[in-house]
Amino acid sequence: MTDFFSNYGFLIVSMMIGAILGLSLYLPLMTGQLSLASPGFYALGGYIAAILSTTVFKPASGSFPVPLLLIEMLCAGIVAGILGIFVGIPALRLRGIYLAIATIAFVEILRVFALNLEITGGAIGIFGIPQPFNSPVEYLWIVLPLLIVSMVILYRLEKIRVGRAFAAIRADELAADAIGINPTVYKVLAFTLGAILAGVVGAISAHFLNTWNARQGTFDASIIYLTSVLIGGSRTFVGAVMGGMVFTALPEILRAMADIHGLPVWLSQFLKDGRLIIFGVLIVLGTIFFPQGLVTPEFLKRFQKGVSINQVTPPSE
Amino acid sequence: MDLTLFLQQFLNGLSIGSVYAIFALGYTLIFSILGIINFAHGAVFTLGAYFTYTLMGGAFGFNGLLANAKLPLQLPFTIALILGSAFAGMIGVLIERIAFRPLRYRHSDPLLTVVSSLGVAVAIANIIQYLVGAESYSYPSNIYGDLPAAINFGTVEKTIPIRTVQIVIFGVSIVIVGILTYLINFTKYGKAMQAVAEDATTSNLLGIDTDKYITLTFFVSSCLAGIAGTLVASSLSIKNPYFGLEFGLKGLAVIVLGGLGSIPGTIVGGFVIGLAEAFVPSDFSGYKDAIAFGILFIMLMVRPQGLLGRRFIQKV
Repeated sequence: MTDFFSNYGFLIVSMMIGAILGLSLYLPLMTGQLSLASPGFYALGGYIAAILSTTVFKPASGSFPVPLLLIEMLCAGIVAGILGIFVGIPALRLRGIYLAIATIAFVEILRVFALNLEITGGAIGIFGIPQPFNSPVEYLWIVLPLLIVSMVILYRLEKIRVGRAFAAIRADELAADAIGINPTVYKVLAFTLGAILAGVVGAISAHFLNTWNARQGTFDASIIYLTSVLIGGSRTFVGAVMGGMVFTALPEILRAMADIHGLPVWLSQFLKDGRLIIFGVLIVLGTIFFPQGLVTPEFLKRFQKGVSINQVTPPSE
Repeated sequence: MDLTLFLQQFLNGLSIGSVYAIFALGYTLIFSILGIINFAHGAVFTLGAYFTYTLMGGAFGFNGLLANAKLPLQLPFTIALILGSAFAGMIGVLIERIAFRPLRYRHSDPLLTVVSSLGVAVAIANIIQYLVGAESYSYPSNIYGDLPAAINFGTVEKTIPIRTVQIVIFGVSIVIVGILTYLINFTKYGKAMQAVAEDATTSNLLGIDTDKYITLTFFVSSCLAGIAGTLVASSLSIKNPYFGLEFGLKGLAVIVLGGLGSIPGTIVGGFVIGLAEAFVPSDFSGYKDAIAFGILFIMLMVRPQGLLGRRFIQKV
């Protein structure tokens, strides 16, 4: 068991982080808004944690205190939330493709600033971020509760008034407006919640990865997380979580597949180096054949129903 | 700012602006006919540059599957440019078949098509990297034959040298815009395309083969991307397989600025962004790449329909 955790600790934590990022992208999607801004807020949160921990909170010796990490997460969440409101209010007047383009522009502007400002370390970035834990797997103490709390909140959110309003706006914004739901308020709320979540995860990630640079929040990253949410399933948070986990682990899975004995050399080479080609192809196939994603609400319901039917009438053999 | 520098920057701005314009016209053509933005456009731009490089007999580096490979022939730049963009155009047709048509037939949400074209972009950029590696490639320096490297636009005492490449780019782009305007407004193809853009169902009923014209539009659009890619690569270099994706994002800024679907708007947008970038003071040159997106963001807030776009009214 110890071996397992020391070998796969990094991967497990990465998968959880991927799942939370998937959720942060899923939140604006709950109101039907395709926003690609999450990686921008993720990068922002990371820079806040990286700057704070290498300057203000710099420990004199030993490991970085965990309470300070929590304070950083709080700061990152607050800053990302405020920026989310400021970007969200004007941007969410736009619909569909205009919103996607506006959020791409936002991410690119943040990236150019990160590359040029002195405080963010320019192109090199910030490195030697102090570690609160001794091994990667101990990050689970932070990441796992965060994932569970966000999942519980989202599960409840889908049941209460706010979540119902999100769903109504997603189904038909004009109709929702007509029955007294203010679309702007709820769209900005969903967008800002996603921004806060992304910012908080960024703060953890900066410590987890030990270095932070402008590559963390790029257009590529947006596409990868968008893929994970869309293929996982964009209509229930379970899909976003599953997608985020699977797509974070995909490179490792492909690497493991490449090591299977008996594969032709070209194929194992392709599985190793062609990861992003496979990503691209999966996106295209996924949008054509699984427009709702793999995990849909119907799928989950059938799963639950299947259990109850089995309980009532045991299968005759 | 003295006059020489001003003129130099102005001409540089016109030159890069004209490339932005022809590149973004590719987006506009597809948007006006399908109402969709083709995110794979930037990847086709990259492909065009690589195709031309290959056709001119350029060799590849030692990374990737095609290490050290090169074609046995060396075509002159003009022919390589035309052939390379034609290949890019064919790739465009292929993209339409794979990533657009199945979704169109299923009447999917337009946003899903955006996502599938993003998938194509990721795949193409990484196929290029897989085949020829990520190193930068430059075109040979003698692609324009005997033309000097720079031409003096000032007097003998007060020189205003402009790189020949910039002038060629500007010239080629203007010619392309001219051809395109003629094609759209004065030929049967153009009229049919306009009809499909106006109302696909009705024009289909009137005997226009919609699919054929959509395919043609993808061909023309991707040719434009290929030409733009080659021109930019001849002025700078092919930085890496991703350089088109960045350029593609700037193209988005151009079309939104001009107004989605508006051809004159796209051309104006291209020049506005090209000139704005050219006049960034050298102290802030690092922020040059943010200019286009800054303009785009402000434009979306102030006037989402763009400079010359029609106001979009939602009907229930």
